[in-house]
Amino acid sequence: MNNEKLEKIIDSSRTDQKELIHILHDVQSEYGYIPPEAVTAISRRLKVSESEIFGVLTFYNAFSLTPKGEHVMTVCMGTACHVRGGPQIVEDIERKLDVKVGETTADNKFTLETVNCIGCCAIGPVVVVDEKYYSNITLNKIDPIINEYKEDKS
Amino acid sequence: MKLVLNGKEIEFEGRQTILHLARKNGVFIPSLCDHDRLTPFSGCRLCLVEIEGRRGFPPSCGTYAEEGMNIKTHTPQLKKLRQQILELILSEHPSSCLICSEKKDCDDYKSTIRKVGETTGCVLCPNNGRCELQEVVETLEIKNVHFPALYREFEVKKKDPFFDRNYNLCILCGRCVRMCHEVRGASAIAFVHRGSNEVIGTVFDKTLVEAGCQFCGACVDTCPTGALTERALKYETLRDEESKTICPFCGIGCVLDVDLKNGKILSTHPANGTSLNRGQACVKGRFISKDVVYTSKRITAPKIRKGKELEEVGWDEALDFVARKLKAYKGSELALIDSPQMSCEDIYVSRKFSKEALKTKNVAVSPGYAPQSIYSSLIMNNSMQFPLNFKLKDIAKARTIFLMGIDLTVSHPIVWLEVLEAVRNGANLVVVSPTELASTRFATQWLRNKAGSEIHLLGYLSKIILEQEEALDLRSIEGYETFLKSLVKLSLENMMEWTGIDEQQLRDTALSLLEEGPAAFLFGMELTSLSQKNMGGLALQNLAHLTSGQLYPLGLENNQRGHFELTHLTSKKDKKIDNIKHSMEDGQIKALYVMGTFPWPKKIRAEFIVFQGSHENDFSQKADVVFPAATFAEMCGTYVNIEGRIQRSSPVIEPVGEAKPDWWILAQLAQRLKRPGFNYKKSADILVEIQKNNPGLKKASPEDLKKGKEIFVQEGLEAASQFFSLEFSPSIPKKSKRYPFLMLNDYNLDTYRSLYLGDVSRGLGKIRDPEWISLCPEDAEKIGLEHGDSVKISSELGKMSGRVRLTNTVSEGIVKSNFIWSENQIFHKMILKPLGSDDFKSIRVLPVKIERG
Repeated sequence: MNNEKLEKIIDSSRTDQKELIHILHDVQSEYGYIPPEAVTAISRRLKVSESEIFGVLTFYNAFSLTPKGEHVMTVCMGTACHVRGGPQIVEDIERKLDVKVGETTADNKFTLETVNCIGCCAIGPVVVVDEKYYSNITLNKIDPIINEYKEDKS
Repeated sequence: MKLVLNGKEIEFEGRQTILHLARKNGVFIPSLCDHDRLTPFSGCRLCLVEIEGRRGFPPSCGTYAEEGMNIKTHTPQLKKLRQQILELILSEHPSSCLICSEKKDCDDYKSTIRKVGETTGCVLCPNNGRCELQEVVETLEIKNVHFPALYREFEVKKKDPFFDRNYNLCILCGRCVRMCHEVRGASAIAFVHRGSNEVIGTVFDKTLVEAGCQFCGACVDTCPTGALTERALKYETLRDEESKTICPFCGIGCVLDVDLKNGKILSTHPANGTSLNRGQACVKGRFISKDVVYTSKRITAPKIRKGKELEEVGWDEALDFVARKLKAYKGSELALIDSPQMSCEDIYVSRKFSKEALKTKNVAVSPGYAPQSIYSSLIMNNSMQFPLNFKLKDIAKARTIFLMGIDLTVSHPIVWLEVLEAVRNGANLVVVSPTELASTRFATQWLRNKAGSEIHLLGYLSKIILEQEEALDLRSIEGYETFLKSLVKLSLENMMEWTGIDEQQLRDTALSLLEEGPAAFLFGMELTSLSQKNMGGLALQNLAHLTSGQLYPLGLENNQRGHFELTHLTSKKDKKIDNIKHSMEDGQIKALYVMGTFPWPKKIRAEFIVFQGSHENDFSQKADVVFPAATFAEMCGTYVNIEGRIQRSSPVIEPVGEAKPDWWILAQLAQRLKRPGFNYKKSADILVEIQKNNPGLKKASPEDLKKGKEIFVQEGLEAASQFFSLEFSPSIPKKSKRYPFLMLNDYNLDTYRSLYLGDVSRGLGKIRDPEWISLCPEDAEKIGLEHGDSVKISSELGKMSGRVRLTNTVSEGIVKSNFIWSENQIFHKMILKPLGSDDFKSIRVLPVKIERG
């Protein structure tokens, strides 16, 4: 873990307790999860107890306690996507990536998540990878998407 | 103001919730989440009411009464609603016993016992019979739960001391979380996760010890279900009697409710409705008092040394023997040691006994904390300049609170609650401490000073205030000029170097102290035990005087103030404990009568030793005669707390074994020595005599105290009218090549007379252990030490050992240890010299060396 980075995020001028969520967001996007050391450091900085911070970060889906993969694949399970086959799509991706929802692949490439609606019901079922939206997903469209990111060697 | 409640017009005053108002008027509205000391939460939704003209059903715990409201609390519709809400609550709580058709039979004949476990019913629940949920189910007459039952299958958490947490029984009322956050300021627990996964938990599901819990037990006391239960109470039957006692473990003297069964203590918990602790206690009062009374270390019978062994004998034999022995010595050959943890009656009789029966001047007080008594630090030129009385309640009204020389959350948790309340009301909190404490988290100003520079810091602060407040008309006050002169030596340029505090921060502190509204100066032993004699107390008095503030001296021992009141007029002639040791070594003192602690059990060289106390320790093993003394729970006793409040407790149980109150034993001996004036029948007789002889306690009549009247020590002083000239030591303790660390000794009172509480409660040792040496990870890495390693610490005063505890609360170059006075502690060697001696050397801050041990 890079402590300098952490210190930079936390040791900015933000000492107000209201800043908690913003700081957590920054930590999340820097590390892909909230490491325990960060909770301790934020607690000392903002003078909020560690348990209270833990309460906040487990409340929001945006924060993760385990490191996420390089790409986060989110399948919408909102009502509209659900009736158009969302569950089957999740099942299929689970099989293909060999993970369960919420888990990360062994090669650290993908994390699979579901969400309860992302507000674009008209183009459902929807899969979101990182910030890119894929519409009207059918089982046939899943492999190309996975391959797109698998090949995307960085 | 007026409103209509269930068709009846009632009057009310001020801002109060409908629930509160209804309860006051004898209307019962069920509620599971509301609590007197907590802000309204409206979580359980059981207290819904109808208010004419309002949409829906507002929760009465979160709705404030208004003029002209028409409220109905018990309509058929409300009942149905409440039942349904309760059914929802019960769907996640084992309920088979609650709604069982054979419930009544089962209560009477146990006809259906053992058919359900803790997972489905109440029979095996540790809270069975003490459960608020059971009561509410009863009143709402729930016969059936129409929702599928869900058992959440959490593992019961048993790793922490004192209580278990079974969140399968939790109904998420949030009382524990709110209590921990709002009232105690610990926030060790929180709501974790969301929606149906929500549960009460700690950070990363750590143990409570790791999450910073102080085990005050407030969460356990407020839990309406069996989710949080005291481990010692599990599988115990219900109480058959309830009584009250006064907690003996610190200077506050909290009132405790005692649950009794067959004349034995089941548990102790803080009493509600008292103006002192208001339903709160700390780990010692809540969880340890029972262990202190019933531990196997109790001395249960008089003993006389016959040959090598101490043998149990009858009272008469022991008393006759001791009387005969004592007669053989001259007064100057005898010495007596008493303790500020004894009741006023006991202390009074012990002093009278030494004067009239032993005819000795060799009287000393137990060397716990008293030699550098916080009170004597306020004495200048043999007269008291500042009133010692205060009211805890006033702290919460303060505008600025100045906290110095004390780790308040540990030493006086109940005082801390008042500070916290003030902070929540917007008060400034200034904390002076070289290390991080639980209180620094709430500080508006944390003056992280160089250890040992406290007096200088107070001097600088006075100087800055004097600069800023030229308008203050202080010149006429006695001592002003000399005080001013004594500050000349301090130059602001050198301040950073001396104290480690930058000027701006100190100026800000000065400003907040001068803000309108009362300033409160709370201080403890760690200030008054600094090496400059009395200077801490005097410097703080000057500062309080400058800011029109009030001093709050926080003594540690339960009757320290009482001991002071009873003895300070005569105590100038008291011996210091080490004088007695020296005289003993010289052969001048030949017999020793110890009622407190004597810190050199191995070096004792007396011909005859009597030990009178409630618990065995190293010293009692050396005695020739041992008298069993009754504990706080077994006798009548009067105690004066830190406020100067006089409280009297009555016995809650019969003495364990043949223990007797200290005064009884001493009076019996005096009578055998043919001294008149010791013919006391009961402790009230002694109190009446104290009243007559001691002007401070003249109002403490047994009758008034029994009625629960608020009685304080009588003081002649209103406020100080004098400034004191200060002396600043030319140097503060510094690290050197030989001793590269500074060790800070914190004072905790985890003892009861001769007993270290950790010896009877392993749980206490898990929260704070006198063996712990706190070290920051950076330093530990440098010397190659890890958490838990044993270390040797040496200073010019001596050596000691301990175990490393890594923490970020101390900064580099600082080591912290807890000083707990007890015969069994390793700290002896180290403190032998300084304590009580005339060439008093501070042990608060010591340059030390640390090595792997």
